[in-house]
Amino acid sequence: MKRREFLALAGVGALASVTLSSCSLISGTTPKATSAGGAFPKTWKKPITIDVFDDLANYQGIQTGWFAKLVQDKFNMKLNVIAPNVAGGGETLFNTRAAAGELGDLVVLGSSQHLDESLKGGLLLDAASYYKNMSNVKKYDTAVTFTNKGKKGTFAFPTSVSALKPTQSSESTEPTFGPYLRWDLYKEAGFPEINTLEDLVPVLQDMQKSAPKAPNGKPVYGLSLFKDWDGNMMNNAKQPACYYGFDEMGFVLAAADGSSYESIVDSDSHYVRSLRFFSKASQAGLVDPDSPTQNYSTMFAKYQTGQVLFAFWPWLAQPAYNTTANMQEGRGFEIAPLKDMKIFSYGAEVYGNSNYSLGIGAKASDPERVAAFLDWLYSVDGVYANGSQTGSAAGPKDLTWTLASSKKPELNAFGQDAFLGGSTKQVPADWGTGTFTKGVSALNVTTVTAVDVDPSTGYSFAYQMWPSYEKLIANPLTKSWSSHMGGAGTTMEYLRDHKKIIVAPGSGYVAPVDDSETQTLRNQIKTIIVQDSWKMAMATSTSQFNSLLKDMQNTVNGLGYKKVLKVDMEHAKAQNATRLTVAKKFG
Amino acid sequence: MTTQAVLQEAASSNLVREQENTLKRGSRKRVGGKPNGKKSIGMFLCILPFLVLIFVFSYLPLYGWIFSLYDYQPALGLQGSAFVGFQWFEMLVSSPTQMAQILQVLANTLAMSFLGIATSILPLIFAVFLNEVKAPWFRNIVQTLTTLPNFISWVLVYMIAFSLFSSSGLVNSVLTDSGIITTPVKFLDSGDHVWITMLLWSLWKGLGWGAIIYLAAITGIDPALYESARIDGAGRFQLMRFITIPQLMPTYVVLLMLSVANLLNNGMDQYYVFQNAFNMQHIQVLDLYVYNVGLTGNNLSLATAIGMLKSLISVILLLTVNLIAKRARGTSII
Repeated sequence: MKRREFLALAGVGALASVTLSSCSLISGTTPKATSAGGAFPKTWKKPITIDVFDDLANYQGIQTGWFAKLVQDKFNMKLNVIAPNVAGGGETLFNTRAAAGELGDLVVLGSSQHLDESLKGGLLLDAASYYKNMSNVKKYDTAVTFTNKGKKGTFAFPTSVSALKPTQSSESTEPTFGPYLRWDLYKEAGFPEINTLEDLVPVLQDMQKSAPKAPNGKPVYGLSLFKDWDGNMMNNAKQPACYYGFDEMGFVLAAADGSSYESIVDSDSHYVRSLRFFSKASQAGLVDPDSPTQNYSTMFAKYQTGQVLFAFWPWLAQPAYNTTANMQEGRGFEIAPLKDMKIFSYGAEVYGNSNYSLGIGAKASDPERVAAFLDWLYSVDGVYANGSQTGSAAGPKDLTWTLASSKKPELNAFGQDAFLGGSTKQVPADWGTGTFTKGVSALNVTTVTAVDVDPSTGYSFAYQMWPSYEKLIANPLTKSWSSHMGGAGTTMEYLRDHKKIIVAPGSGYVAPVDDSETQTLRNQIKTIIVQDSWKMAMATSTSQFNSLLKDMQNTVNGLGYKKVLKVDMEHAKAQNATRLTVAKKFG
Repeated sequence: MTTQAVLQEAASSNLVREQENTLKRGSRKRVGGKPNGKKSIGMFLCILPFLVLIFVFSYLPLYGWIFSLYDYQPALGLQGSAFVGFQWFEMLVSSPTQMAQILQVLANTLAMSFLGIATSILPLIFAVFLNEVKAPWFRNIVQTLTTLPNFISWVLVYMIAFSLFSSSGLVNSVLTDSGIITTPVKFLDSGDHVWITMLLWSLWKGLGWGAIIYLAAITGIDPALYESARIDGAGRFQLMRFITIPQLMPTYVVLLMLSVANLLNNGMDQYYVFQNAFNMQHIQVLDLYVYNVGLTGNNLSLATAIGMLKSLISVILLLTVNLIAKRARGTSII
């Protein structure tokens, strides 16, 4: 190559690499909110559309329906939701937007790692000057201060905050985890006693025998598994461990009361026990063969059509199958207690949910309005309106519920249709357009827990806990369950009375972010664990199961499992220490 | 003679030829003893855009290798991320299990590529036989139907595979309903014969398309060859064996060479859509592994390091093939 050509090329190259590298030259300085005016204005003149980067959202695009109208009327603002869950590609969307230096005007972060990275990258605004005026968020100042501990300003706002005691369950009428069975078939089988997890196999076999085919002609299975939520381990196999008071912390299963810590790959761990249970069930023809390839929505559809007999969670099976029509005929999912269970329950979070947080984007076009909106999300109206996506908060007053003459809240005709009738009715004209379900908040983030009490009514935000609701839904199914359970009102009531639940105090503990080496090892190891767990769950013989288990243990140990386990163990113990402190402090 | 002297001589002989050419063309331009500066700048400007393109798309991306030396975090940018030296490379060879992982991935990559190369003769044979079909309408139908799958994306191919072979798919339903089996056969979610099934899928997709170039080449064969062979008494199969196939061989060899250069580039879309917990061990090829580590596992630095491995092996393979070509044919390909 001639010298001149080379120089020319080198010039072009140098230019290009300067341009490239300048993209990534985001300085680590922290943006500060400039204006520090008084209270938020009552009206907003200029209409705007804000970008909401939302790790939790399952809807992408402009918010529609009654929630959009509420926000429009109050803030003259549209919400453009950007949802990695919908866009797909894992971390790609967060990474590209983070590298570009702007996540969105309002940011909902789904992990402490995202919060950490956003802070390091200067992607969040220091909202300290607005925080002064956020009268609704201020009520949870303990949580806000805790979330921003060690940070030079107010960057993040906690979620799922609560005014309840941390030793009280945060669940309303049903626990988060629990062995739920098709009650009608369980009854038909004569309510056989279930002493422990493994006893479910013969019980489910009996139930399957009496109903081998669903009304649509498809075969009925005891268990239908899915892979969407696999993380550090196969998600489905963790659930039975929760029936015995454990929850995960990386590769560790930690007891709610700190009494024991298990490494998941140990042959005698609750995790491997669940896998063994799956394999047994699989050999008995109880596991849906579609399990390894299907996703959550396919599986959910099977619950709707009655093709599955067992559910790990009430919030999966009941909305799917316990329709008014089914319950009137006594069909539906209810908890069938294992004699030796002690279900893990999340205590109310005085400090808020440690993993999810809200923030204002560093480059927000109108940070004051975003701050005002954020504040509204923590207000009574905001909680009723925004908290309804997950089906717990009751929705806005006068749309779905009213105060009865007795001053007690009750669902009105529209609300009954929205929550119990499959949401077929259009919202009244002055609430916008569309059905109730179409218009729920796409943010999918809980600011204040629904079990908290609305001071204006004296009852919780969750309609399921209203006395009027219990009367409303009394039906052959709940009556049959209640009479078998010795007259218990709700599942939580039964579990509390029979000491079958163990509350892990809401501590707000956040495990520190892995250093990148640990993170890489973890990613490699969890892939192996998840893959081999699926193979074990579907194993056709005990010897195959054992050899797969041995393979898995050898491979993960070879990859450096011990190193990661040590980190997780420390975190689990630190979490327990925080729980104890919090329980003592707020008791 | 020194290299410089050789280059000078070559340059001057080029110059002489150029002068002769200009003279022949009867140009009125003054012919001097020194090179025409203006003209060569003009010529250089003509190729400059292409040089820039090559630089931007082939050499500039090599700058990205620098990511492998950092602990890159997108929110911080490269400048904000820690410099870790060769940490990621050391990690790849840190323990026997780690090495085994990489080797398994390499084995998958090479196996699928070699199976692909080994079956690269099939489109040729297919073309030869298709050419023997005398009814044009039938030949056209077969050609269209076999070419069509090439235009279906792998995602859709997987949809087809899923609706046919999943545990509640067509095949299993038919087999269960007719009482041949009681539990569904696991076609997709099994780790057995993954290489072969993947090969069959890609053959199904690419056979007709691969045959097109040979069909074109067949029409280019001199009809006189067939005529004289027929006069010599050659039958149909002898014509195929002694005329068609030898005539197609140069085309085949060129395509084979190109596929060797692409040995490690067996793509990832096919394997990406077909992967699941059961076949992962055998289906994970290098590109897919890089994707899984970098984007799914969110470690772009390690993914870069693994990606570099690919470049390294490609260079080694290329040099090897080049050496063989040099020995066998006397000329090198690069």
